[in-house]
Amino acid sequence: MSAGLILALPRGRILAEVMPLLRRAGIEPEPAFEDPDSRRLRFSTSEPLLELIRVRSFDVATFVAFGAAELGIAGNDVLMEFDFSEIYAPLDLDIGHCRLMVAARAEAAEPEDPRRWSHVRVATKYPEATRRHFARKGVQAECIKLNGAIELAPRLGLCRHIVDLVDTGETLRANGLVEIEEIARVSARLIVNRPALKTRPEEIGCWIERFRRAVGAPRG
Amino acid sequence: MADLSPLLPAGIYDLLPPEAEREASLVSKLLATLSAHGYERVEPPLVEFEETLLSGAGTAMATATFRMMDPASHRMIGVRADMTTQIARIAATRLGLAPRPLRLSYAGEVLRTRASETSPERQFGQVGAELIGASAVAADVEVIALAAEALSAVGVKELSVDLTLPTLVPSLVAVYGLGEERAAALRQALDHKDAAAVKEAAGERASEFARLLGAAGPAAAALAALDRLGLPHSAAAELRRLAAVQGGLEASMPELKLTVDPVENRGFEYHSGISFAFFSRGGAGLGELGRGGRYEAGEPEMAEAATGFTFYTDRLLATLSEPRPRPRLLLPLGTDRAVAAALREAGWITLAALEPAKDWRGEARRLRCLYLLEDGVPVKIDA
Repeated sequence: MSAGLILALPRGRILAEVMPLLRRAGIEPEPAFEDPDSRRLRFSTSEPLLELIRVRSFDVATFVAFGAAELGIAGNDVLMEFDFSEIYAPLDLDIGHCRLMVAARAEAAEPEDPRRWSHVRVATKYPEATRRHFARKGVQAECIKLNGAIELAPRLGLCRHIVDLVDTGETLRANGLVEIEEIARVSARLIVNRPALKTRPEEIGCWIERFRRAVGAPRG
Repeated sequence: MADLSPLLPAGIYDLLPPEAEREASLVSKLLATLSAHGYERVEPPLVEFEETLLSGAGTAMATATFRMMDPASHRMIGVRADMTTQIARIAATRLGLAPRPLRLSYAGEVLRTRASETSPERQFGQVGAELIGASAVAADVEVIALAAEALSAVGVKELSVDLTLPTLVPSLVAVYGLGEERAAALRQALDHKDAAAVKEAAGERASEFARLLGAAGPAAAALAALDRLGLPHSAAAELRRLAAVQGGLEASMPELKLTVDPVENRGFEYHSGISFAFFSRGGAGLGELGRGGRYEAGEPEMAEAATGFTFYTDRLLATLSEPRPRPRLLLPLGTDRAVAAALREAGWITLAALEPAKDWRGEARRLRCLYLLEDGVPVKIDA
C-alpha cells in the first residue's frame, strides 16, 4: 500500500482545461507529462505524495471505482454511463462544459410521439445512459456501441438517432444532424474512491478543499 | 466421458488450497470472538419460503434473490442472499420466548443474482452477529466494538469504521416537504456525493444539503459540523444518539478510527437507525469488509429493536496477509505410527508415503514437502 495518492486524468481535449486548474491547485507535473513524445503513463508532481496517471476518460472512472487511483477527473457523462457505487463526485470543477444530446438526421426529426415507436436504434458511446433515457420515456432503445465518429452513423444508414456529447453543435450540422433533446448537462467532476475517502478522510478532504479553492480562484 | 470444464457460472468460484483452509480458519476465529461475548451460534437453512425470506427487512434483497418452485409444496422458495432476515425470523418465532436481549451469531454462504460492479462474486461467505431486543445506545456501542475486536483478532490492520444515519435524509426530506420525485433525484445524487446534482435536485434547500454533504469526515469534526447546522428537531435527536454512540466507542476503544457520513444510504435501505461500515486502509481498493446497523426485527406490529453486523469473508481474505504455511513433512514408507503421531502433536503436517521410492528427497520436493523424515529426524530439503 503506497503512502501517496494517485490522481487519474483523462486524455484528450479536456486535458487543456484541466492543466490550468491543476496548477491553481498547486500541482505541477514533471516535464515529461506534457512532452508529446513521452511514452510514459505515470508521472510524479511537485507534490511528493501525489502521482498522476493519464488514461482514457471512461477508464478514469474504472481506475477510481476499483481503488487503483484514489482521485480522478471525469465528466458526469462517464459517471452516468457506469453508475459505480464506489465513486463519489464531491466537486463540480466547472470545466469541460458540454451537453449529452439525442440528435437525428434533419428529415427524421419531425415531432412525433416516441411512445408509438416499437423500438429505436441509436448509435452511441453511452449505451447504458441511452437505454435508461429512452426507457424512462417508454421506448425500447437498441443501442449500437461506437467508440468515435458517431455522427457518421445516421448518414450511412446505421441508425436514425445518435446520443453523443455536443459542444457547439458544429459537428452535428456538418453531418446533416439536428439536436432533438438534451439528456444531461455535462461538466468535469473531481471524483473520489469511496473506501479511500472513508479510510483517509484527512488527506482526501485536503485535496478536495484545494481543488475547491482552485475552482473559485480567478483564472489567469 | 463427458467433457470436464473448469468453467463455472459467472461470479461462482472454487476455493483451492491454501485459500479454502485460510477461509475456514478465518471463519472459526471470527466466530470464537463472537461466542466469547455470549453470541450463540444459530444455523439457518440455505433456502426458505420466499414470504419469510423476503418479508420485513428482507424486502431490500428481493431482486438479489434466486427463486425456484419447491416441487414438494408447489410454493416459491428463495436461496438466501443475506442471513440477517433469517436470524430475525428465528428470533421472532422459535426463540420468541428466549430472554431479551438475544445475542446470536452465524456463518454461512449466500447467493446473489447480481454481483456489484467492483466485486464479481455472486456466492460468498458471511459471518455475523445480531443483538435483538435492545434499543439502548450501549447496544450500538457493543456491536460496533465487538465487530472491531473480531476484525482486529484476525489481523485486520488500520481498521476504520464509518458511522451513518440512513434515516436522517428521509426525515429532512419530509420536514422540508420536498416532493417524491425530487426526493428520489436528491437521494440518488447524495448516494453519489455528486455535489452538482445535489444542488440541482435540492432546489431552495441546496445550501442545507451541500453543508450536510460537506460535514462528512473524521467523527469528532463531523459531529461538530452537524451540530452547527441546526437541523430540525427530529433530525437533531438522531444526531444526539449518534454522538452518544461515538462517545461510547471513543471511551471503550480510543484507538479505533471513526468517521461519520450523514448522507450515506445506498445498501442501508432497510436500516432504521445508526448504521456502520468497516474499511481497512490495507485493503482500501476492495471496498467494505462488512457492515451493519439498526433495523426492526420481526412482524411490523410486534417488531423488536435490533442491531447487528455482517462480515464478507472473501473481502477479509483478500485484505489479510497470507500466513506462513506450516511446513509439510514426508514420512517414508514404514514410518512408525507412534513416531508420526508425536510429530503431528508437535505441529508438523505429515504426508505418509504410500509406495517405496528410490529418491526420497526428490519425492519430498515433488509433494511440496519442505522436510523429509530421515532416521527419525525431520531434515530440511534443499529447494
